[in-house]
Amino acid sequence: MGMSLLGLRRRGRLPAWVEPGEIITAARGVSVRLGGSLVLDDVSLEVRAGEVLALVGPNGAGKSTLLSAFAGDVTTVRGAVDLHGRRLGEWTSSEAAMRRSVLLQQVTLSFPFTVADVVRMGRAPWSGTVLEDSDDDAVAEAMAATDVASFADRRFTSLSGGERARVALARVLAQRSQLVFLDEPTAALDLRHQELVLSVARRHAAGGGAVVVVLHDLNVAGAHADRVAVLSRGRITAAGPPRLVFTPGLLSDVYAHDIQVLDHPNSSAPIILPRR
Amino acid sequence: MEHEQHPQAPRVLTRRGAWRGRSAVLISGLTVALVVVTVISAGRGQLGVPPAEVAGSIMNRLDGGLEWLLRRIGLEVDLPLGIGPLPSHPQGENTLWLVRFPRVSLAVLVGAALATAGALMQGVFGNPLAEPSIVGVSPGAAVGASFVFVTGVSWLGEWTVPIAAFVTGLLATLLVYALSRAGGRTEVVTLILTGVAVTAVAFAIVAFATFVANPEAREQIVFWQLGSLNGARWPAVAAVAPFVGVGLVVALLSARSLDLLSLGDRTARHLGVHVERLRIVLIVAVAMLVGSGVAFAGVIGFVGLVVPHLVRMVAGPGHRLLLPASALGGAVLLVGADLVARTAIQYADLPLGMLTALVGGPFFFWLLRRTRRRAGGWA
Repeated sequence: MGMSLLGLRRRGRLPAWVEPGEIITAARGVSVRLGGSLVLDDVSLEVRAGEVLALVGPNGAGKSTLLSAFAGDVTTVRGAVDLHGRRLGEWTSSEAAMRRSVLLQQVTLSFPFTVADVVRMGRAPWSGTVLEDSDDDAVAEAMAATDVASFADRRFTSLSGGERARVALARVLAQRSQLVFLDEPTAALDLRHQELVLSVARRHAAGGGAVVVVLHDLNVAGAHADRVAVLSRGRITAAGPPRLVFTPGLLSDVYAHDIQVLDHPNSSAPIILPRR
Repeated sequence: MEHEQHPQAPRVLTRRGAWRGRSAVLISGLTVALVVVTVISAGRGQLGVPPAEVAGSIMNRLDGGLEWLLRRIGLEVDLPLGIGPLPSHPQGENTLWLVRFPRVSLAVLVGAALATAGALMQGVFGNPLAEPSIVGVSPGAAVGASFVFVTGVSWLGEWTVPIAAFVTGLLATLLVYALSRAGGRTEVVTLILTGVAVTAVAFAIVAFATFVANPEAREQIVFWQLGSLNGARWPAVAAVAPFVGVGLVVALLSARSLDLLSLGDRTARHLGVHVERLRIVLIVAVAMLVGSGVAFAGVIGFVGLVVPHLVRMVAGPGHRLLLPASALGGAVLLVGADLVARTAIQYADLPLGMLTALVGGPFFFWLLRRTRRRAGGWA
C-alpha cells in the first residue's frame, strides 16, 4: 500500500525513549495571539519524563491554549516548542504522533464508527512500522484500562458523554506515546471514572511516561499531580509541587476569591476550599 | 477491574475477522451484480441480444485480443476463451460494439465516479449530506462543459470537455469549501445554503451559455443538462476513463486518513495525518471525478448521496470498504438506471438525471429529517 502520498505511510524516525527526569517537551518563551488578544505571554515550561504535570488556573487563563501550543495546533507569535530535543516543526505529523498523543476537550465523530474502531484509530501512527504488530494488544489494553471493553461493539454516537470521554481516552492510550496531553479529561465524568482516569495518568507516569493535564478541580490536581503550573492571564504565576504552589495567598490572588488550604487528615494532598 | 477484561481481547480479534469476511462478501456480491446488470443492459434495446450471446461476443473478442497481444510478444497460443454463441442477428455484433458497450461502459465510469465523489465529499466535509449535485459541484462542472459546447473549442481534442468541467468543478468545490466551513466544522444548514447559492450562480451561467448558443449547440446543452448517456461513443469513454481511474486510486489510498478525519481536523493531525495536504488532494480528486461524470453525461444527481448511504447501512462507515463498495454500487445503479431510461417507454430515451432525481430527492429529504432528529434541530 503506497499511502505515502497522503502522509500516513511515510515512515519517519521511530521515537527514542526519554529517560525519567529528562526533558521530553518544553515551551520556550511562547506567546500566542488569538483573535487580536495575547492569550499566552512569554510562557516557558519544561515537562520531564515520569511526571504528571497539571495546568490549572481560572477560566480564560490560557490553559487549553498552552496545551494547543504544546500539541502544535496554534502558531506562536514568539517562542517555540521543543519535542524530544528538536523544534516541533522539525518532526513530520506522523513522527510527532509517535511521540505524543492528545485528548481534546470536545470529542466529536462525524460518522457512527464502533467503539473498537475509534480506539483502533489510535494505532494509526504506527501503521507500516514494526510496532504495528502490537496493535491488538494496545487496543485491548487501552479498552481495559478505561473500562470501555464491555461496550466495544456499540456505536460511538450512541454513547453518553461520560462513555465517549473514556473511549477517547482509550484511543489516546492505544497510541502508546511516551508523552500524553489531556485537556480536561474529567469534565464529563462521575467520581469513580474521574479517579480511574487520573490513576491511568499516574500509572503512565510511573511507567516512565509524561502526562500534561489541564484540570479545573484544584483538589484533583493537588492529589494526583507531581507538579502544578498555575496560569493567570496568559502567564505562568507559579510552578512546582502542589504543596508548595497551592498557598492561600497565591490562589486567592489568582482566582480573585478568598481561598483556604487545609491539611487532609490522612494523606499529603491539600484540601482547597473557597471561603464562603 | 482490569483483570476481568482480558477475555475481551480475542473478541476484538474475531470481530476483525468477521469484518474481512463481510467486506469480501459485499465486494464480490457487487462485482457479480455489476457483471450481470452489464450483460443484461447491453442486450436490451430495439435490437434484442440474449445475455448468452452478449457474453459470447465479449469472450470471443477477449480471446482474439489476448491472442493478438501474445503474438506481439512472440507467443502463438490458442486460448480456450472463445466460448459461447455469437449474436445471431446480422447487426448484433455491430450494435453491441458500436452502440451498447460504449454506453454501458460510460454508465459504469460515471456511476463509479459520482458515487465515489459523494463518499469522498462526505468524508472531507465531515457531513453525511455533502453530495456533488446538492452542494453545487456538479452545476459548477456543468459551467465549463456548456462553454465548450457553445464556443466549440477543442484545443485538447476529446479531453476538452472533461478538462473544462474539471476546472470549473474544482473552482466550485473550493468555493463551497471556503464558504461553508467555520471553525473547522461544516454545519448542515450552512452547507446546503451555500450549495443553493453556488448552484444558482452556476445555472445562471449555464443559462447564459444556452442563450448565446446557436440552435444546434442549444439543443445539445438542453438535453445534456437533463443528464443522459445517449450517444455515448468510445472516444468519450476513453476521455473520462483516466480521470475516473486517477480519482478512484487517490480515493482508495486516502481511505484510512478519511477514517481519522472523522475525529475532526485537530485530532486527525494528532494522529499523524497531514490534514491540509489531504484536503487539497481530495478536493482535486472530487473535482476530477465529478468533472468526468458531468462531461458527457450531464448533471446526474443524488448518486453520490444514495449509494454511500446504502453502503454505510450495510457495512458501517469505514472508508476502506465504503469507497470501493460505493464505486461498484454506483456503477450498478447507473447501468441499471440507464437500462430503465432506455427501455421503460418504447422508442424513447428518458433523461437519466430525471430518473435519479425522482428517486434521490425523496431519499435526500428522508436523510435530512433523520439528521435533524438526531441532532435535535439545526442549531
